[in-house]
Parts: sequence; structure tokens; C-alpha cells
Amino acid sequence: MERKYTILAVLLIILAFGLVILPKKKEQNEIDPKALLSSVVEKSRYLSVDLVTHRIIENDPTLLLIDLRPADQFKLFALPGAVNILPDSLLAATTLELMNQPGKDKVLLANSDLISEKAWLIATRSSVTRIYVMKGGMNEWFNTIIKEKPLNSAASSSDLDLVSFRNAARQFFVGASETANTPEKSKVKEKVQVIRKAPEASSGGGC
Amino acid sequence: MIGPIISSGIISPAWDNIFAVLLGMGFGFALESSGFSSSRKIIGTFFGYDFVVVKVFFTAAIVASIGLLYLSYFGLVDFSQLYIQPTFLTSAIVGGIIMGIGFAMGGFCPGTSLAAIGVGRIDGLVFFGGMFMGVFLFSESFSLFENMFYSGSQGAKMINEAFGISPELFTFFLVLAAVGMFFGAAWVQKKVKKVEY
Repeated sequence: MERKYTILAVLLIILAFGLVILPKKKEQNEIDPKALLSSVVEKSRYLSVDLVTHRIIENDPTLLLIDLRPADQFKLFALPGAVNILPDSLLAATTLELMNQPGKDKVLLANSDLISEKAWLIATRSSVTRIYVMKGGMNEWFNTIIKEKPLNSAASSSDLDLVSFRNAARQFFVGASETANTPEKSKVKEKVQVIRKAPEASSGGGC
Repeated sequence: MIGPIISSGIISPAWDNIFAVLLGMGFGFALESSGFSSSRKIIGTFFGYDFVVVKVFFTAAIVASIGLLYLSYFGLVDFSQLYIQPTFLTSAIVGGIIMGIGFAMGGFCPGTSLAAIGVGRIDGLVFFGGMFMGVFLFSESFSLFENMFYSGSQGAKMINEAFGISPELFTFFLVLAAVGMFFGAAWVQKKVKKVEY
């Protein structure tokens, strides 16, 4: 091998060895204030109730619902798969371990946005990634998905699609014969068959 | 691709596509200047008369690994923001075998066939046409392969985690392996009859 390549090879080995012997940095547990401000201003943390419902029905394995309501309300009614975590135990080691699960989208929900927003801020400051807020909370979910709304005669096709989805979702959660007045019985037992789409090309490498 | 820079607010997301084009051009230029637009050069790896493909890709891997780890150490890249392609073992193995056969038969891989088209090579164009047909047929018959495609799911797994060592130590071993391979390839190349092309 040529001399210049030998020198380059030695240089790479030295650089790689440098990585091994460098003193380990203390892990930064809190997000940089600028990055936090940027996240707060950005609205991408909000997921609509329709989107969350769609992912629940699809049995999305990457979805982790974190219900922040009091335990008695959670026992009365909860979304399928949701785990109940009280706001005062957000920083507990077990909670952080749960929220730091790789590959999971953590969606916070409470009755409204107030507690979810606070929890989101605390979790984001603790460097938890892929954490979202279900916009409007359970109140919005109930009003949108469970309560039937009359359809405007001038509704567009996308509105019709949305209403059709919500009707199907309502049946999924409360059953075909149930009405909007009986949400307590809406714990889901049935399973839906997931039809996965082919994954879109993502930013994979390769030659 | 450029998640850490954009999500940390250093660069606006509006630059995303611009960067994609610039990086693509740089990648294409690197492929062409390394001689990857020649199928005979690429196929040399399988016959032992030219190992430039292995050398270039191994060099790219170790330079990128070392660079990323140093950037992360100095706080310039947030590792948690990097996109890691999820691993599906079965489809990775089957896809790897098919790609390997295609690589050996055609003398190109997807990127190098485009580099070959860029310099006007007909064989690159034919290869790309075949690849496009393969992608089309696979997409149309995806339901037949769906179960196999999603089996062996490992999630976004890092190889150093699988070995239970730090990324720094894994990179060090990777560099040693790469350097060993460089010398080994040079030795094999000396032993094999030279091919003029």
C-alpha cells in the first residue's frame, strides 16, 4: 500500500482511539433553553383527536398514550392502551424510563390541554423526545368522536370523509348499538385487522 | 438526513431540499470521481482485481462514524435527533442477497447506475431501467411479500447496542477492521492477475 494511504490509516486509528480515551461527558439531562423555546413556539407537538383515534384503531405499536387524569376518572373511562400517570409522578424514574422508550410516540392527554401542556414542558425539559399533546384532551375527544354532530348539507367531500371516519370510530369505541350517552361502556375489546401500507422511501443510505 | 442541524434551529427547514440536492450532487461527484461509473471497476471486487468499491465505502463509513462521534462529543450534533432506519432482519437478508446478485450481474448498485447515466453510459441506463421495473413489480405485488417484509422487526437498533459496547469502542474496532481490510485487499490485488479496462 502506498505511503500516503498508510499515513491516513494510522491517522484514522489515532482519531478512533482518541474517541475511546476521551473523558466521558456528563449527560445533559435538560434541553438547551433555546431549543426549548423553539419547541414551545412550534405547534408540531399537537396531535388532533382524529389522528390519535386513527392510530388507536390501527393499533399503532409506536403509540403510547399517557393519561394524566386522576385515577378514579381513568378507571371510569380510558382510551384503549392508555397508561395512567399522575402529574406529580412525571419525574419518577419508572415514568422517565417509560417515556424514554425508543421508537414510541408518547401522547399526553388530560381532560383539557392545561395539564398536558405542563407535563409536556416538564418532559421536554427532561430531554424526552417524540412527546406530543392530544389537542383538546378527553373533552375534545368526546365531543369530536363520540358525540354525533349533524352534517351540513354544503359539506365538502373531505368533510364527508371525516364524518364517515368519525362515525366508524364511534362504532369502534362504543359499539354499533350504543349511543353517545353511554361512554362508560366504551372500553374496547374487539380487534381490528391492520392493513399496513408499504413504507415510503425514507432517508436511508446506501450506494 | 440533516435533522440535527435543522431541528436545533441552526438552519431553517426551508433549506431541506436545497441541502438534499447539494448533498446528492456531492455524492454523485464522489461516486464518479472514485470510478464508480464503470461497471468493470465495480465488478473487480468480485474477481479480486480492483477493491476500490470496498475501500471507498469502508472509508466513508469510518470517516462518518468518527466525524459524528466527535461532533456529538463537542455538542454540535444531537445523536437523539438522528434518523435510524428500523431493522427488519428477514427482509434485510433477502434484500441483501437479491441486491448482491444484482450487483454482481449488472456491475452497478442504484447510486452508481445513476452516476453512470450521468456520464452517458448505456449499461448504466439499462441497469437503471431494470431496477425501475423491479421496484414497480415489487410495489404492485407488495401484498404477496408483506408478511416477509415486516418479519424480524428489531426496531431502530444500533449495532454497538447489540454487542453491548459503547459507540466509541465499536468505531475503534470498525476502524481496525477497515484498516486490516485495506491491507488485505492490497495483498489480494497483488496476487491476482491484473485486468486492463
